[in-house]
Amino acid sequence: MELEAAGSGAEPQGSYNQPMPFRFDQLTALMNAAGTLAIFGLLVLINSDTVGRTLFNSPIRGTTELVSLAIVGIVFLQLPNTLWAGRFVRAELLLDVVVARAPRVADVVQGAFHVIGAVMMAIVVFATVPELRTALEIGDYVGSLGDFTAPTWPVRLITVVGSACTCLTYAFLALADFRRAMASRP
Amino acid sequence: MTPLEIGIASLALMVVLIIAGLHVAISLLLLSFVGVWLIRDNVDVALALMAQATNDSIASHEFGVVPLFVLMGLLVATADLGKDIFEVAHALLRRVRGGLGVATVMANAVFAAITGISIASAAVFTKVAVPEMLRFGFTPRFATGVVAGSSVLGMLIPPSLLMILYAFLSEQSVGAMFLAGIMPGLLLAIAFSLAIVVMAWVFPGYVGGDMTAGSAPVLTVGAALGKVAPVILLIFVVLGGIYGGIVTATDAGALGALGALLLAMAKRRLTPATFWKVLIETGRITVSVLFLIIAANLYSRMLTLSGLPQTIVEWMAGLGFGTAGFLTVFIAIVLFLGCIIDSASIMLIVLPLMLPVAQALGIDLVWFGVITVIAVEIGLLTPPFGISVYVVKSTLNDARITLWDIFAGTQPFTLIMFLTLMLIIAFPRIALFFQ
Repeated sequence: MELEAAGSGAEPQGSYNQPMPFRFDQLTALMNAAGTLAIFGLLVLINSDTVGRTLFNSPIRGTTELVSLAIVGIVFLQLPNTLWAGRFVRAELLLDVVVARAPRVADVVQGAFHVIGAVMMAIVVFATVPELRTALEIGDYVGSLGDFTAPTWPVRLITVVGSACTCLTYAFLALADFRRAMASRP
Repeated sequence: MTPLEIGIASLALMVVLIIAGLHVAISLLLLSFVGVWLIRDNVDVALALMAQATNDSIASHEFGVVPLFVLMGLLVATADLGKDIFEVAHALLRRVRGGLGVATVMANAVFAAITGISIASAAVFTKVAVPEMLRFGFTPRFATGVVAGSSVLGMLIPPSLLMILYAFLSEQSVGAMFLAGIMPGLLLAIAFSLAIVVMAWVFPGYVGGDMTAGSAPVLTVGAALGKVAPVILLIFVVLGGIYGGIVTATDAGALGALGALLLAMAKRRLTPATFWKVLIETGRITVSVLFLIIAANLYSRMLTLSGLPQTIVEWMAGLGFGTAGFLTVFIAIVLFLGCIIDSASIMLIVLPLMLPVAQALGIDLVWFGVITVIAVEIGLLTPPFGISVYVVKSTLNDARITLWDIFAGTQPFTLIMFLTLMLIIAFPRIALFFQ
């Protein structure tokens, strides 16, 4: 099918696209599906607004604000599963050579890279939790009072949870890499 | 260490880690975070900037263009619109020597106006055009080279994912960037076509092609119109809306995606299962691009704090570097990186550093964007890492045609892209035609 070729330049390899402990990949797949529905929601919302505005002179209030919140939500809902599928952008050139020549070394290097990823995502969680707390405490919202308002805490929560799940996915990937490096192979 | 030294050190380390294969977004986040921390000697500043990058950098209506245009591109690919355009172009050009090659370029140019991702163009036309060219006796090198080469039109002729990315990084409007891509895209398509006709006459052995090998499809005018009408309607809705200023780029993307969805349904190409797959794939591409933008946001803040861009501006002024000198260095860097990493990453690494310089030199940022996109796209075709060539190879799945055959086949087209780039640098009006 055309899409598969269009989507992934190279076949996913190593620890990607494999089942994870505690069915964690299935949990992130659910989050991913929620994000997928949200993309379709964007399509419907923006078109309804455009049609309403241009043909009937009645825009849908808050479209702009909702779209901007939804974009952030979609990214963090889908981030963990996109990582699981091995679709984070990286240069595969050098690693491919190492994989071919010294697979064990490649596994260790990959594992180390995934540990770095886990650490960075943990820092993202650490950095965004205060913003979630603030959003909840002061009842932060977008839009203008009397017209349309939407609270920001749901999206802030998604950011924190999505980053945390991405951190865990990185950790599980690293675990799988190191396991493969330790396993004896022909 | 001074802030400047920290900036230079983190930049150098970042490039090393990216080439080593660390995820590009993680490389940017890691070195920018540590960089800010060291420059300010304060971890709280680094955390605050990290929070701002994750929460605010993509929280805008404008970023809706990414999923919507990606969705539209993937939908038109499933709807077999590429095949329809190719059949019409083939019928029109059946008496021209090398006509099938020209037909591929022309079909790619039209298809590019409804898709924004070159890998989609490469995949579609590998399936549609390569078997047909081989059937008519064209050499495998030429056939695959034409497809990989002309796939770059996908991200030059609007809509274009790279133009969208550039617009975000340089704070230009997406609509302005789209309009700036039209004339350069058409120019490149014409240059490709001329080159194919010339090659077919001068190096018939290289091109191959035997008009008597089979019969080209003959379409009635009505049938041809029926095949292209939906495509033209879609182009009109998207580009017409932006050019007329009736809708924003985001709205146009939503309209285009809806139009593509209805077309795919009307052509009975879309089952609920395929549509779900298309939506999932849209999410994958969107997330990887937008996560890069989040990381690039932190990175450009780190660069600003280090004062590196400002130093480069002063240094270039001190050396008497004019626009020409700057563009030469810039294009050389982009072409070099194009051999190693993907197009989006190149733009995210190079532009935060180079845009301030371009601005200080008084360069028109829309024109600079077109130059950037073409230079970056040459990287889609250059070995060892040329994603378009990889896509053609994996879609073709034919052991007789090697990766290096395809790379060799694209070389004439790489050369023409470079010449077209020079032409656009010499005549900025080509890019600024619609302003």
